[in-house]
Amino acid sequence: MNEVRPILEIHDLVTRFATRYGVVTAVDGVDLTLQRGECLGIVGESGSGKSVTFASVMGLVHKPGWIDRGSISFEGRELVGLDRLAYRALRGRDIAMTMQDALTALNPALTVGTQITEVILAHGENLPAGRRQRRRWAREQAVEMMRMVGIPSAEMRLDEYPHQFSGGMRQRMMIAIALACRPKLLIADEPTTALDVTIQAQVLELIADIRRELGMSVVLITHDLGVVAEYCDRVAVMYAGQVVETGRTREVIDAPAHPYTQGLLASIPKLSHLNERIRPIDGQVPELIDLPPGCRFQSRCIHAMAGCEAPQQVRDGGDGHGVRCHLAVTGEAS
Amino acid sequence: MNFGKFVERLAQLLPVLLGVTVIVFFMMALTPGDPVEIMIGDSHVTPEQEAELRHDLGLDRPPVERFFVFLGNAVRGDFGISFYHRRPVIDVIAERLPATIELSLVALVLALATSIPLGIVAAVKKNTIFDKLATVGSLFGVSLPGFWFGILLLMLFSVHLHLLPVAGRVGYEFEVPPITHMLLIDSLLQGRFDAFANAFKHLIMPAIVLGLPMAAILTRVTRTSMLDVLSQDYMTFAEAKGLSRSRILLRHGLKNALIPTVTVAALQTGALLGGNMIVETVFGWPGLGRLVVESIFLRNYPLVQAAVLIYATTYVTLNFLADILYTILNPRVRL
Amino acid sequence: MSAVLTWVLGPVSPDESPFRRNLRMFFSSRLSTVSTLMVFGFVLLAIAAPLVAPHDPNETDLFRRLQPPAWIEGGEWSFLLGCDALGRDILSRIIYGSRISIFIGAFVIFVATTIGILAGLAAGYLRGWVDIAISRLVDILLGFPYLIFAIALIAMMGPGLQNILLALIYKEWVMPCRVVRGETLAAREVEYVEAARALGGSSRHIMLREILPNILSPVIVVATIRMAHVIILEASLSFLGLGIQPPTASWGSMVADGRSYMLEAWWVSTFPGFAILILVLAINVAGQGLRDAFDPKFHD
Repeated sequence: MNEVRPILEIHDLVTRFATRYGVVTAVDGVDLTLQRGECLGIVGESGSGKSVTFASVMGLVHKPGWIDRGSISFEGRELVGLDRLAYRALRGRDIAMTMQDALTALNPALTVGTQITEVILAHGENLPAGRRQRRRWAREQAVEMMRMVGIPSAEMRLDEYPHQFSGGMRQRMMIAIALACRPKLLIADEPTTALDVTIQAQVLELIADIRRELGMSVVLITHDLGVVAEYCDRVAVMYAGQVVETGRTREVIDAPAHPYTQGLLASIPKLSHLNERIRPIDGQVPELIDLPPGCRFQSRCIHAMAGCEAPQQVRDGGDGHGVRCHLAVTGEAS
Repeated sequence: MNFGKFVERLAQLLPVLLGVTVIVFFMMALTPGDPVEIMIGDSHVTPEQEAELRHDLGLDRPPVERFFVFLGNAVRGDFGISFYHRRPVIDVIAERLPATIELSLVALVLALATSIPLGIVAAVKKNTIFDKLATVGSLFGVSLPGFWFGILLLMLFSVHLHLLPVAGRVGYEFEVPPITHMLLIDSLLQGRFDAFANAFKHLIMPAIVLGLPMAAILTRVTRTSMLDVLSQDYMTFAEAKGLSRSRILLRHGLKNALIPTVTVAALQTGALLGGNMIVETVFGWPGLGRLVVESIFLRNYPLVQAAVLIYATTYVTLNFLADILYTILNPRVRL
Repeated sequence: MSAVLTWVLGPVSPDESPFRRNLRMFFSSRLSTVSTLMVFGFVLLAIAAPLVAPHDPNETDLFRRLQPPAWIEGGEWSFLLGCDALGRDILSRIIYGSRISIFIGAFVIFVATTIGILAGLAAGYLRGWVDIAISRLVDILLGFPYLIFAIALIAMMGPGLQNILLALIYKEWVMPCRVVRGETLAAREVEYVEAARALGGSSRHIMLREILPNILSPVIVVATIRMAHVIILEASLSFLGLGIQPPTASWGSMVADGRSYMLEAWWVSTFPGFAILILVLAINVAGQGLRDAFDPKFHD
């Protein structure tokens, strides 16, 4: 497995934002790898840096934000510092992204047809000559894509506007747009958060199906551990701008090593334990401006002790299971 | 647009128009000064003739009845006789109206042509020098008294530099047969480029003075709207699709950003009507605005009444159209 | 693009009363503070006019007809900005003219805002036929372009200070009325639900206490911006000869006076108009600052 190069390698990524209150370090030394064809789940609360990390991958961080240091390698190609035109060619074609709320991500003033065909036409190779033929070809591709994601009567609905679709359909629409050029990597940012529970499952199944069909690699950003457990091969848990635990999903869920992950899992209400109280994690996510040098979870950690004030390194627990906590290895956290 | 909704809006319009008419009528009816006496002036008239005149004009009827007479006439375009010109009011107004319309249109076009690009660039280059200058400029534009600005321009370009004419719409020697009654268009249509140039020179200063406040407001509206659009998710998503910057800005951004601009422009066009009076007076422009001002001093009340009614009706109609325009432009509201 | 920023970072929570925070924001801008000071400067000037003005504004001296400003040949330093066609000192007339402009601006806005608040509250709270009547009236009044209405009223009533005030107030009250009505309706929705849950009682009292503070901010902002408008309107009316009548010095009529002398005496029109520009600009900048400081969206 290690001879094949990972499709995406993020190494020591630091992304900062200048705000009127000071410099915010949204991503602080993040390391992540994604193997080809794999589905990686990124779990974290708001403010954990999960979205910014992948905004950085897409090159969407503009002022007042910047990538301070680090490397993002896609198929062996360095993305940090990549010139504008090269990045543009990459986006939508090789790496695609969907956003949390399809209602705001789709332009209300443009038809859905326009919004799909423009991606196809922007990245198309071997386009037919002549404007009309090109448009017709692009529309055919668009209809094809819409059918693939399960939007009925696709051909007739091409000229409708986003607000004329239901929430679930819009999400599918967004996925159709993202996948229109058959990208190698799909970054799905909170694909289910804005949806009803029943629709959530449909959308996730859709992504899983397409992933299998196209052999696509997927990053699933979410705060829902249940989603991760079901669909992701590996998972990375992020907190306050850092990755605190990574590993195979099964392992991390069955035997979480970082106190934060443990807290997350413990706070999920279980059907089998209906009479138990919900156990949330006390405290709040720290402000990203004034971060302590040591462990950021310290103030909320039930195992906090001497040694936690020092910066925590990621320790390797074997078989790709990494934990950013000095207690995990010594086994004192259970 | 949904026909039912349209009719509903239209129905809301009518009471307002009616109310406006009522107010205009009673404003004039309550004006001191007996119209009959003003009409008679200094000529010698017997009491019987005076009573007859009063009866002919219907001035001996109760006010409510007079109102309906007035309304009925107004709808047919009959506003009575202008004391001063001794001609039907409607004729006098019709003569002067094209000049005002032409001036307003040119001012509108100038305002849009400058404010939209300025607003967009100011938003894209937010907080740079350009943006700050645009903001300052637009504050200036609404703070500048139009009549003073006009006089300054006249002093500079006409009186001292002799570059532009002092007053009027066109030189006497440039007689152009009217087609649309818009001098600029008529002269072009007939290949009279000398007349066009002359008309343009007369028009440019008043149009700038008239259009400046509007341009200032529209620049701010466009900037604000563009800023709002730029922070929208769909702009980020468009970028994530790998589209070119120009396509994102123009195709995705403008379509949404210009909606407030266009609607505010439609609303502000009505305000242009008010500004007309000042600008026409300063530049001696032979339009309706100056006519109204003159008529007030001459106590030519039928004309003032008719003009105010026309202005108000146009204004209300413009606001109504702006409303409709907004619903047409905004797909979300359309259905 | 900053869309990523708003998409990713959340809002920063405030810890002081919103009104105080907005006020602090307002004064943190140098521009706002400076322009507010300038406005106050004008007000002081107006109040202290008899003490500050070098000459009697109505004193004519035909030997000083169209005397140029001090720095031009033929001028005198005691008549700094020159004299008009009747030999009156322009600087003194400008100083006294500030009284007119400021008084009219302040008075009209104050009365109109008060009427507007009362009408808006009545319409928004009482609803029913009161609301319909007031809203209709507002719609009809809004059907007139501003200047036209004022001019028509002046034509009807004749020029002069009192009539100008009336003419301007007649149209001006609809602006604050609309704002207040909107805010009252919005607050009503919230309070209505809450009051329905909590057992009725002095819900009217609660409403008034809740609404009034909410109203103040937008009303103040609107009032400031409208004041600038009103001052220009008065000047325009006076320019046309429909406003303040001679010999009282109004900036607008002073500009009109200078029209006949554009060639030989540019200063007669220029300086009074410049005074209007400065005052209105200061008010607008301060108003803009107020709007920005009190607008939650601006706190990015």
